[in-house]
Amino acid sequence: MAPQLQIRNLHVRTEDREILRGVDLTVQRGELHALMGPNGSGKSTLANTIMGHPAYEVTEGEIVFDGENIIELEPHERAKLGLFLAFQYPVAIPGVSVANFLRMAINARREEPIKMKDFAAQLTRAVDLLDVDRSFTSRHLNDGFSGGEKKRAEVLQMAMLAPEIAVLDETDSGLDIDALRTVAEGVRKLHEDQGLGVLIITHYQRILDYVKPGFVHVMMDGRIVLEGGPELVERLEREGYDRIREEVGSRA
Amino acid sequence: MPDAALAPKPGTPPQATLNSALDARGAGGEPLAALRARAREAYESLELPYWRRSGFWQTSFAGLDLASLQPIEREPDPAAAPQIVSGRANAGVLVQRDASVVHVELDGELAERGVLLCSLEHAASAHTELFERYFMRRLLLDRDKLEAASAAFWSGGAFLYVPPGVIVEDPFQIVYEIGAAGSAQYAHTLAIVDRGAEIRLREYDLAGAAFDGDALHAGQFELYLEDGARCRLAQLTDWSQGCVSDASTSIVEVGRDAYCHWLPALLGGRLIHHHDELVVAGTGGDMAFRGVLFSEAQEHLDVFAVDLHETGPSGGDVHWRGAATGESRASFEGLIKINQGAQRSHTYLQFHSMMLSENAKLDAIPSVLVGADDVSASHGGTVGELDEQAIFYMQTRGLSRPQAVRVIVEGFFEPLITQLEDDQLEEAIRSRIGAKLAAAAADIERYALAR
Repeated sequence: MAPQLQIRNLHVRTEDREILRGVDLTVQRGELHALMGPNGSGKSTLANTIMGHPAYEVTEGEIVFDGENIIELEPHERAKLGLFLAFQYPVAIPGVSVANFLRMAINARREEPIKMKDFAAQLTRAVDLLDVDRSFTSRHLNDGFSGGEKKRAEVLQMAMLAPEIAVLDETDSGLDIDALRTVAEGVRKLHEDQGLGVLIITHYQRILDYVKPGFVHVMMDGRIVLEGGPELVERLEREGYDRIREEVGSRA
Repeated sequence: MPDAALAPKPGTPPQATLNSALDARGAGGEPLAALRARAREAYESLELPYWRRSGFWQTSFAGLDLASLQPIEREPDPAAAPQIVSGRANAGVLVQRDASVVHVELDGELAERGVLLCSLEHAASAHTELFERYFMRRLLLDRDKLEAASAAFWSGGAFLYVPPGVIVEDPFQIVYEIGAAGSAQYAHTLAIVDRGAEIRLREYDLAGAAFDGDALHAGQFELYLEDGARCRLAQLTDWSQGCVSDASTSIVEVGRDAYCHWLPALLGGRLIHHHDELVVAGTGGDMAFRGVLFSEAQEHLDVFAVDLHETGPSGGDVHWRGAATGESRASFEGLIKINQGAQRSHTYLQFHSMMLSENAKLDAIPSVLVGADDVSASHGGTVGELDEQAIFYMQTRGLSRPQAVRVIVEGFFEPLITQLEDDQLEEAIRSRIGAKLAAAAADIERYALAR
C-alpha cells in the first residue's frame, strides 16, 4: 500500500484556545489535495501539528503515517519518515549555506554520508527544476532572501529531500506571478515524476491554476466543512467563503 | 576628600583594580638583565591580581598557589608539533613545552631571505640589536604580580623577524603547550614585521596530554608592524579541561599605513584574564580586531580588549562574539580610546552574545574615551537567544534538536570564523564549539524549554 497520511478526529489547542476541533483528512502518496479556508480557520495549525510543532497540543485524535501513530514523535523523526513542511514564513539560518544545509539534512537521514559527487548531481537537477542560479545554493539559507527566493528555496529543499508527502503552507502567499508559476511548476513535476503526495494549503485559488488538485477540502472554524473535487475551487472563487459559511452554518 | 567607596582596598595596587589601556611607553630600552631585575623586584612587592568591575563581579587570581607552580624544563623534541599545525604547509613552526622551546623549524628559502624564527632567549644573544630595539617596547612589567613574574622569569619564548618587503603566504605557527600539573609557563612572543612585509601568524596556547592539578600560563605577546606591513594574526587559547590559570597581555602596534587583522579565539580555561590591545600608532594605520569566546562548565573568562588610536587618520573595527554554557562566567570589556590629536580616526566596537544556559553569565562592557573632535567612535551589540522557530524549521528537514542548535551557534560565530581564511584552524574552532555544545546539550535544552 502506498504511504499515506491519515488525520483522525484531530483536536488541537494552544495555550489559550482550541483551534482544531475534530479534523479528518487522508492524503495518499501520489495524490494532490488542496486545503482551503479563510484566515484563522486553522489551516496553518494543522500544517504545524502534522510536523509536531511544540506550541500545539494534541488533545484528542491521531495522526497516522504508514500505519504508525506519530503524535509522540519529534519533528525530525517525522521528517525522516517522509513528511515535509514548506513554511509560509521560512526562517533565516545565518551562517549556513543552502548547499551545506541540504547536505546536513540529507546525511541526517542516511547511515553513510552522501558522496560529494552524488550530492552535486542531485543539487544540479534540483536547481534546474527551480530555475534558480547555481550561486543561489552558496548563499546563507533564507538570509536576506526575497519572498520569491524563500519559496523557491522551500521547493528546492523538497526536491532534494524527496519526501513521501509534503504539506505546503500558503506557499503562494506574497509571490508575484513569475515566482508563483516557477514554484507551482516545481511542485507539479515532483508530483508527476516522483509520485509526491501533496497537501496544498491556500487561501486563494491562484496557485491551483498551475497545480490541479484531485481533492479539495474546505476548512472553517477548525473543522473540514466541505469536500469535493476540482470543481469546488471554482465554486469558492465564484461564491466566496461567506456563502459557504451560511450554507454549512444552516446545515449544522 | 576621596570617595571612600571608590578607594581600593588597603594593600591593593590601584592599577590592578580596573582595566586601562597601556597608553604609556613600555618598559623596554634597557638591557635584558636590568629589566629582569626590575621585574623581579616588582614581583616580590606585588600581590596576586584581581580585576574588579563595579556592579558586576571580579576576576581574582588570589587563590593561586604560586609556590606550588614551577617552570619545568623539557628536552628538545623534533616531533613536538601538535596536530593543529601538522600536515600542512607552514612558513615556520616553534613549539614551547612548559618552560623550554623544544622544536623550531623555518622554511629554508625564507631563512635565506633573512627571516628569523628562533627562541627569544637565543634572539637576546644572537640578534641583540633587533631584540633591544623592540623587546617590551610597549609591554609593562609592574602592573601586577603575574605580569611581573612573566617579565622576570620568562624562558624559551618565540622571536620572529620578517625583513622589509618579504611576503609570506603560509602561516608562522607558534605553540605554547602545558604538559603537566605544577607547571608555571612564563611565555613571551616578540614578532616584528618590517616595512611592507606581509605575513600570517598564529599562536596556540594549548594543554598537551590531559593532566590533573593546577598549572599557570602568564604570557606576554608583542607584535610590531612597521610602515606598510600587513599581518593576519590569530591566537587560539584552549586549555581544555585542565586546571590552567592564564593571565596574559598581548599588544599589537600598527605603524604608518600598516594593517592588522587580529582574531583571538578563547575556547577554554579554568580562569583566564586576557588584556588584548591593538594600537594604531601610525598615520593611515588600519585594523580589524575580531574575537570569539566560549566558556563552559565552571570556567571564568575575562577579556579586556582595547582599540587605541594614537594618531589619525586611522581606522578600526572591533567585532567580538561570545557564548557561555554551564555555570561559566565570561566578561568582555571593550575600550575604544582615541588620543588627543588623533584626528580623523574612525572606529566601531561591537559585541554580540548568545545566551545558552540558565546559570551562565556573559557581560559586555563597552566604553569610549575620545580626546579629539574630528573622529567617529561608537559601539553596539546584541544579546541573542536560540530561535525556537529556526530550530523547528531545521527539525522539519530532519535535523535533531542538538544538530539544529549547533547550526545556529556555529552560524552565530561563522561570520568571524570564516575571516581566518585557514581551513585547518577554522575546522578546529568549529569542532571545539561543537564539542562544547554537545557537552552542554542537556543544559541548553533545559534552558530553551524553560523560556
